[in-house]
Amino acid sequence: MTTCKNCSFYFAVPEDAGDFEAGKGDCVLEREDAKGKYWLSKPTKNDSASCKAFKKA
Amino acid sequence: MSTVAASIKYNGKVVDFPLANPAENEIADEVLHENLARPTTERTKRLKARCRWKHAAAGEFVDAEVRAGIERMRYITEAHKASAGQPEVIRRALGLANILNKSTLVLQQDEFIIGYHAEDPEMFPLYPELAYMAVQDYLMSDYSPQPKDEAAEINEYWKKYSMQAKGERYFTQEELLQMYQVSTMEAPGFATGYNSISPPYETVLQDGLLKRIESAKEKIEHAKKEMQKIPWNATTGLDWIARIDVWKAMIIADEAVINWARRHARLAKIVAENFETNPARKEELLEIAEISQRVPAEPCKGLKDAFQSKWYTYLICHAIDRYASGYAQKEDEMLEPYYNISVKEKSFQPMTHTDVVEMVEMERLKISEHGAGKSRAYREIFPGSNDLFILTIGGTKPGYVDACSDMTDAILEGARNIRTTEPSIVFRWHPVGREKTKRLVFECIRDGLGYPSIKHDVIGTEQLKYYSQFSKNSNGATDEEAHYWGLVLCMSPGVCGRRKTHKTRSEGGGSIFPAKMMEIVLADGFDWSYSGMQLGPHTGDPTTFKTFELLWEAFRTQYAYAISKVIRAKDIMRYFESKFLQMPFVSSIDDGCMELGVDAMELSEQPNGWHNPITTVVAANSLVAVKKLIYDEKKYTMAQLVTALHANWHGYEDMRQDFLNAPKWGNDDDYADAIIKDFYEDIIGGEMAKITNYSGGPVLPVGQAVGLYMEIGSRTGPTPDGRFGGDAGDDGGISPYMGTDKKGPTAVLKSVSKVQKNQKANLLNQRLSVPIMRSVHGFNIWKSYMDAWEQLNIDHVQFNCVSTAEMKAAQKEPEKHQDLIVRVSGFSARFVDIPTYGQNTIIARNEQAFGADDLQYLNTQL
Ligand code: SF4
Repeated sequence: MTTCKNCSFYFAVPEDAGDFEAGKGDCVLEREDAKGKYWLSKPTKNDSASCKAFKKA
Repeated sequence: MSTVAASIKYNGKVVDFPLANPAENEIADEVLHENLARPTTERTKRLKARCRWKHAAAGEFVDAEVRAGIERMRYITEAHKASAGQPEVIRRALGLANILNKSTLVLQQDEFIIGYHAEDPEMFPLYPELAYMAVQDYLMSDYSPQPKDEAAEINEYWKKYSMQAKGERYFTQEELLQMYQVSTMEAPGFATGYNSISPPYETVLQDGLLKRIESAKEKIEHAKKEMQKIPWNATTGLDWIARIDVWKAMIIADEAVINWARRHARLAKIVAENFETNPARKEELLEIAEISQRVPAEPCKGLKDAFQSKWYTYLICHAIDRYASGYAQKEDEMLEPYYNISVKEKSFQPMTHTDVVEMVEMERLKISEHGAGKSRAYREIFPGSNDLFILTIGGTKPGYVDACSDMTDAILEGARNIRTTEPSIVFRWHPVGREKTKRLVFECIRDGLGYPSIKHDVIGTEQLKYYSQFSKNSNGATDEEAHYWGLVLCMSPGVCGRRKTHKTRSEGGGSIFPAKMMEIVLADGFDWSYSGMQLGPHTGDPTTFKTFELLWEAFRTQYAYAISKVIRAKDIMRYFESKFLQMPFVSSIDDGCMELGVDAMELSEQPNGWHNPITTVVAANSLVAVKKLIYDEKKYTMAQLVTALHANWHGYEDMRQDFLNAPKWGNDDDYADAIIKDFYEDIIGGEMAKITNYSGGPVLPVGQAVGLYMEIGSRTGPTPDGRFGGDAGDDGGISPYMGTDKKGPTAVLKSVSKVQKNQKANLLNQRLSVPIMRSVHGFNIWKSYMDAWEQLNIDHVQFNCVSTAEMKAAQKEPEKHQDLIVRVSGFSARFVDIPTYGQNTIIARNEQAFGADDLQYLNTQL
């Protein structure tokens, strides 16, 4: 099973962060619509099953 | 070709009115406003062009992409279920923390101030814990959160915990039905979820949240020691329990806010290092990351920090922890120290004045795309705008020393240049205010923004001192605190700063509708034209009122009944807010809550009670007409009037003309003004002042109409002022009824100045002649008008400066008039997003030109 850990949009939360938990990361995705580009960041876990947006790191 | 005002003879000379900017001679009246925007930089030009406006028209969002998000409602519900059994204030903190820890963050291209309150920039959050009826309305609309089943389940979960379920128990069914009609009274806050707040931003900017956390920890330590004292004394010792919980909740909330801001810092850094290709933007994103890592955790070190820290605080207080309208802050004084560091000293985040203007424009655009998950009814009453967003500038410091600064000017320049409907601005007018700044105020008004609206600095300051005497803990506003005020919403001053600010709408806000009361007074309290129910007490058959005084007293009875009920509803809401809707983050940033260990929903140090009578002038003009034609001249009987009204005047046109032509408010007419002054002071203000609210002080009227003058007009039958049933009400609070002020601008001022007693604030809408204001004499005329207004001790005034030709052109081709802004009531709106009914009420307002008599009275030097 592919997981978030292997995805290029997965960024591990640094150990010194206030919300650090082992295996926790930010999933950061780029979006674009008629009004321009924007980026979304959502917490995820490195062992979460990958989603449709998965892109191999 | 642009219209130029006709010459006049004044002081023995012929005065011409050439345009101040000769290039405007070539611009047709119909397109003037499309030629006034000039964003300061290419960046703000792009940001405006792609702005994700959240305007509503007739209750519908104008942009088809706008919709509700589900994340906030999902995470607050998840936390509520998981925290069962814990102290309620801790549950509230855990709810906020769960939202902040799990929600999706948004970062948009080009923006420098970052942060949003929903999972997508086209979305807005919902608040099932506040008002399940509002969420239900969204579930049935095109804007429903998805997945809809999950949202419906969440909403169902909250019904039993809701404020509505709690508050309704203390009213009879009849009382509730009367309030839910929204025709003599606004529906209670426990049903609508509508709220307002003035966040104590200053503590966040000055201290940073880490210091607030430290304070709370010290308080807990102290409390524990007190509890351990020997011998134990329960009469004082047990008080520490609740206080410890409040401080603990503050810590949970503040830590969550810091982590959330720092998640933004990570996002900006990740985008810079992994997505962005432009080196300059990359560098900027890294600077953004550095700022969000620092604030709001630490004190702000420069102006960029201050804008960002303020924005995060705004999002939490107004949109994430709980919904609240408004943008209450004394922005110029709050930011001035950071302006000085960055622009004058250039010791941190060095920048130019023009850079600050760009920051102001960017902040305005953030507000422009801020969506509010309000109920449909509240979307309907702000047509052409997002919500109410009002910031305050100008005024004085203690000793009545001018508080204007270069930061004040930057705020005005940004507003003038970028041209957005929101946030609206209030300028506190005092004679010592510097002329440079007043010229910028004028330029915004002349360019038709509808703001700044102007408030009388001394009236507002003295009012806060007056209220402070009723403080329940004898700690009301000091002289210094009373000078540091901003409007809480459209009209009412409230203390800004570190302590004693307005925390919830139970203190002030909410409406009551005298026009409808006038209608039911003439039907024994029965609403025959709209709801078909008894809306108030039985005050008798009006045909038996042998004297005008009996009619007067019947009105008083209806009004006193309604006003006591609505204030009771607000205070009952406050009671439950303090038990179940605590706001630990807000408490943590208020010095009083921190010192005393009392939640912001419970603690009240500075009373500031008010309520909004809307459509007072329709009722007042009606009383004048009845007194004149029925009781003084005896031209008609009350029975004839009642019959004509029930026929909506059909078949009684001559009679209607008589009532329509009876003296009207705003013409300096002694007969009308004497009755209307009494009406405002004795009934509208006098009856309200008899009430004591949650904070221990009186409640005073703040007459301001928002868009409700249209809504309530449509629910109000014909009235004795000659108005047809369904026609709009009066559009201000003390503004003459549209089109009935026929004696020029100074006659309006003279009428309005007669009302002084028992008032908190009253909105005065005036429409100024575009050719005169854009002429070389525009500023001098306006300035002399403002000086006269100040000397007459009038509380408020705001202006439309837009031609009928341009508004009519926009009605024909709306797509060509996206930049046409008008003042509706306490807010400005994009004209083309207002329904035609509302547009016509603005066109119908008298455009005030200034004749020689007016200029003489104003002693204008030309
Ligand atoms: S959620 Fe999807 S896009 Fe995000 S990190 Fe995991 S697999 Fe990648």
